[in-house]
Amino acid sequence: MSPFPRRLAFDVGAEALSLTRAGRELYSVFVRTLYYVVYGRREKGAVVRQMYEIGNRSFVFLTITMGFIGMIMVYQSGLQTKRILPEFSLLGATYLELLTRDLAASLGALMLATRVGAGIAAEIGSMVVTEQVDALRMSAADPIDYLIKPRFLASIVMTTALVIWGGFVAFSVGGAVGYFAFDISPRTFASIQLVNHGDLITGLVKCVAYGAAIPVVSGYCGLSTFGGSEGVGWATTRAVVSSSLAIIVLNFFISGAALIVFPK
Amino acid sequence: MTAAATQNDARKNRIADFAGDVGAGVMGVAEVAGGMGVLLGRIVARLFPPRIDYPELRRNMYKMSVKSLPIVIITALFTGAIMVIQAAPIVKRLGAEGLVGWAAGFTTLREIAPLLTALMISGRVGANNTAELGTMVVTEQLDALRVLAIDPISFLILPRFIGIILTLFMMTLYADALAIFGATLTAKALLHVEPMSFYHGFTSGLLGFGDVANGLCKSVIFGVVMALASCHFGLATKGGAPGVGRAVNATVVASAAGIFVLDYFVSFLLG
Repeated sequence: MSPFPRRLAFDVGAEALSLTRAGRELYSVFVRTLYYVVYGRREKGAVVRQMYEIGNRSFVFLTITMGFIGMIMVYQSGLQTKRILPEFSLLGATYLELLTRDLAASLGALMLATRVGAGIAAEIGSMVVTEQVDALRMSAADPIDYLIKPRFLASIVMTTALVIWGGFVAFSVGGAVGYFAFDISPRTFASIQLVNHGDLITGLVKCVAYGAAIPVVSGYCGLSTFGGSEGVGWATTRAVVSSSLAIIVLNFFISGAALIVFPK
Repeated sequence: MTAAATQNDARKNRIADFAGDVGAGVMGVAEVAGGMGVLLGRIVARLFPPRIDYPELRRNMYKMSVKSLPIVIITALFTGAIMVIQAAPIVKRLGAEGLVGWAAGFTTLREIAPLLTALMISGRVGANNTAELGTMVVTEQLDALRVLAIDPISFLILPRFIGIILTLFMMTLYADALAIFGATLTAKALLHVEPMSFYHGFTSGLLGFGDVANGLCKSVIFGVVMALASCHFGLATKGGAPGVGRAVNATVVASAAGIFVLDYFVSFLLG
C-alpha cells in the first residue's frame, strides 16, 4: 500500500477509536449523574447555588442575545415574505410556531452552552489542575456526585426557565419590529392559531434535553483536564464546541422524531 | 435609633449597592470596549506597511482552518437538515414544495450559516486562541518577547487576528455549500423533492449572489469582533490557571453577544 492511504487509514482509525472512547466515557458520566440524582448525598443549598450561577447570571446575556435574534428573525423573514406573499397576516403566527417548536430552545441553549458550558469546564478544570478533585476522591466523595449532579439539576430547571423567558423576549421584540418596520398590528402578530400541543411538547422536550446535555458534556470535558493553565484553556474550548455540537445533533434527532410523532 | 430609621437606612444602602453594581457593570463594559478599541488601533497601525510574521501566520492558519473543518462539516450538514425539517410544515401548508429550496436557501445563506459557523469557530478557534495567549501571559512569555525586543503585537497578535478573519470567511463558504447539500438530501428524504427541483428553487430568480455576499460580508465582521475579543481577553489574563479559564469564558460570552448584536445592525444596513 502506498504511504498516503495508509496514513489516512491510520488517522481515521485513531480518530474513530478516540471518539468511541470519549463517547463511552461521556455515557458513563451521564449514567452516574442519573444514579447520583436518585441515590446521591443531598447537600443543602448546592443546587440553589448552581441555579443562581447558571440561571440568574445568564439572565442579562440571554435577554440581550434573544432580543436581537428576535429582531433579526422578523426583519429577515418580513423582507423575504414580501417577495412571495401579498400580506403579512401569517408572519406572526408562523414565527410563534417556529419559536415554540425550535428556535427559542435551540438558539437559547446554544447561547447557554457558550456561557454555562465554558463556566462549568473552567471551574472544574481549575479544580482538576489544582488537585482539588483528587482531594475529593481521597475523601471518598465522587466528583460526579459532588460537582456535576448539582449543576445537572440546576441546569435542567434553569435552561427551561430561561428558554421560556428568552422566547417571550424574542417574540415581543419581534412584534415591535413587525409593527415599526412592516406595519403589522400587534394583535395580528400575536396569534396562537398555528401553535398546537405538539409544538409545545417538542419545545419542552428540547429544553430538558439541552439542559441535561450542557452540564454533562462540559463537566466531562472539565474532569478530563490535564496539564496546567493551558489544559484548562483546552478543556474550556472543548466544552463549548462539544456542547454546541451536542445541541445541534440533539436538535436534529428531536426535530425529526417530532415530525414523525406529531405530523402536521 | 428607632426601628423605622434602621429600616430606612437599610433600604438606602440597598439602593446605593444596586447603583454601585450597575455603575460597576457599565464601567466594566466600557473598559472592555476601550481595551478592544486600543488593540484594534495598534493592530491597524502595524498593517501599514504590513509587519507580519508570515511563518506564524501560516502555522495559525493551519491550526485554525484545517483543524476546524470536521466541526464545520458536521454543523453545516445537520443545520441544513434542520432547516428543511423546520420549513417542511410551513411549505406543505402553503402547498409549495417547490419553494422549499428557496426557504431553506435564504435562511441558510443569509443568517444561519454565518451565525452558526461563527459560534462554532468562536468556541473552537477564539477560545483556543485566548487560552494560548493567556497561558503565554501567565507564564511571562510575552515579557520575554519584549525583553528580546520582539513586538508581541506583530509577532503574535497580528497573525492570529488575520488568521481568525480568514478562517471564518472560508469556513462560512464551506458551511454554505455543505448546509445546502444537507438540505437537499433531507428534502429528498422527507418531502420527496427531487434534487433538481430543489436546485431550481435557488436559481429561479428568488435568490441571487446578493444573498451569498450578504452572509459572507457578515462573516468578515463577525471575524473582526471575535478576533478582537479573543486577543483582548487573552492579553488581559491574570491569575494562573483559573485566570485562563475565566479569560476563555469571557471571550466566548463577549464574542457570542457581539456576534448577535452586530448581526442585527448588519442585516439592517445591508437590507
